[in-house]
Amino acid sequence: MSSVSLVAGANAPVPKEALTIEVLLNPQQLSGVEVDISAFLLTASGKVRGDDDMVFYGQPRPGNGAVALKTSSAGRAEFEVNLTTLPSTIEKIAFTATIYENRQTFGAFQALTVTVKNAAQQAVIDSNLPANGMKESALILGELYLRQGQWKYRAVGQGFAGGLKPLAEHFGIEVSDPAPSPAVTPKAAPAPVPQPAPVPKPISLTKITLDKSKPTVSLDKKPEGFGEIKINLNWNRDNAGQPAPKKSGGLLGGLFGGSRSGGIDLDVGCLYELQNGTVSAIQALGNRFGSFNHDPYIELQGDDRTGAITEGEWLRINGKHWTHFKRILIYAFIYEGVPNWAQTDGVVTIYVPNEAPLEIRLTEGSSSLGMCATVLLENINGALKVNREVRYFRGHQDMDKAYHWGLRWTSGSK
Amino acid sequence: MALSLQKGGNLSLSKTDPSLTKIIVGLGWDERSTDGSGFDLDASAFLLTASGKVRGDADFIFYNQLKSVDGSVEHTGDNRSGQGDGDDEAVKVDLSKVPAEIQKIAFTVTIHDAEARKQNFGQVANAFIRIVNEQTGTEIVRYDLAEDYSTETAMVFGELYRHNAEWKFRAVGQGYSGGLKAMCDQFGIMIG
Repeated sequence: MSSVSLVAGANAPVPKEALTIEVLLNPQQLSGVEVDISAFLLTASGKVRGDDDMVFYGQPRPGNGAVALKTSSAGRAEFEVNLTTLPSTIEKIAFTATIYENRQTFGAFQALTVTVKNAAQQAVIDSNLPANGMKESALILGELYLRQGQWKYRAVGQGFAGGLKPLAEHFGIEVSDPAPSPAVTPKAAPAPVPQPAPVPKPISLTKITLDKSKPTVSLDKKPEGFGEIKINLNWNRDNAGQPAPKKSGGLLGGLFGGSRSGGIDLDVGCLYELQNGTVSAIQALGNRFGSFNHDPYIELQGDDRTGAITEGEWLRINGKHWTHFKRILIYAFIYEGVPNWAQTDGVVTIYVPNEAPLEIRLTEGSSSLGMCATVLLENINGALKVNREVRYFRGHQDMDKAYHWGLRWTSGSK
Repeated sequence: MALSLQKGGNLSLSKTDPSLTKIIVGLGWDERSTDGSGFDLDASAFLLTASGKVRGDADFIFYNQLKSVDGSVEHTGDNRSGQGDGDDEAVKVDLSKVPAEIQKIAFTVTIHDAEARKQNFGQVANAFIRIVNEQTGTEIVRYDLAEDYSTETAMVFGELYRHNAEWKFRAVGQGYSGGLKAMCDQFGIMIG
């Protein structure tokens, strides 16, 4: 089987199956130049639904894993793209190459090659984009796209001179400006040249997703405590399955900004255990809202049943008093409506001051049970250990039993 | 709602709108959203006899010759960037004034300086041609070229043609490499 060679602008059909997309730079490495290969999942509007639609080094397997960055080494990257499991609202996947911090343009390379392989790992398409003379530091190499029921690949070879930022914005991703870099080396300073310190990547997509492959994060003990730990539960209220229009304010603002038309009411709550052995729960059901400034130093921020609050539900933990806690189990439960976690698309995000937000998705391992033990916070000698749970139960009692909390549960309503 | 044609499809304008005499042929495409040389696309019209060729250079209506001698076909001018809503370029046709020996008017779009800029239609998004009743402003038919092109640098978007006593419109979507020169060769214009 021979593959079709495409020049920029040309396209050819691909089979709707599990494809491999291989990107190769020539030469594979240039001194002082770091190239990142990424993929963007795009809807019919040519935009992402949220930052989960960006597949890159920091987030190699977001969402349901239909598009995953399998290998990424200097000058070479390989994506697995399963067109059969791709969400139906995704109609285009753009593959991009960006030069870190715009230190070079792609004109410094000879060529960029993309090979599309079918499920049997046979090359079906190759495109060799000559890079000579390119002024761009961010390139759309090519795109898989749906055209009248047929998936196709098009070689693109267009991009932006301004690097990752305009590229990401082109796809509807909001990019924060990087934090000011640390002290600049004085220009007059003679040799030896100091090694540049590693600087954070310029896109604020440093959010950490806790998933099966990386379920745990531990935050070191801080003498002053952890400040205000905020836990957000949000979910997709738009049952029509249409992505809500992008709104300003945060990468996930548009993803969950839809109107609350469905009948699903998701509640956040927690079980807590203090060092002194006290156990209890915080949740709207039974009106146990707690308190931020007084014992138990956990407070639930009002229940959102009206749809007026589109940012979901918030639980706040007073991290100044972290030493007083032993463990806290955060859970989400469906108070009304049929459990359909995949459609509800729930996400719990934990914000600890000065730390990257931690995100736990409730879609993976979805269940028909109405209670999801989402994340366990544990005090390990003053450190804050965050462990993704995502275990499903029939209700409070079963969950309590599984975690040996020892509360007595009676039915209630709000 | 105007009718939308697929590649190769045709529609009788006379039957769809019997009062139709003056039309606007609108052509459009998206402005380039990435960096680099912009796309400068030029619309042209070729007045063709039954042989499929022009009678002479005067039948080639383009940015340097905006109006046909008889006044039946008039190009409204060059839009260099594709900016703005709706049509990027428009050609007015008064069907009642088209000489009887002209059987067909082909509407083409070519990429200016395509070779030097390494551009082709595969890089141009959302190209379309549409026919609007000039007197009422109503869109009668449109053809979204979408995917019916690739590495070509010259395209016949559509054509008006006589069929018995009627005027019809056909969605052509035929591409050529070689830009405007190839198009002129095709229709019998000698380029010096």
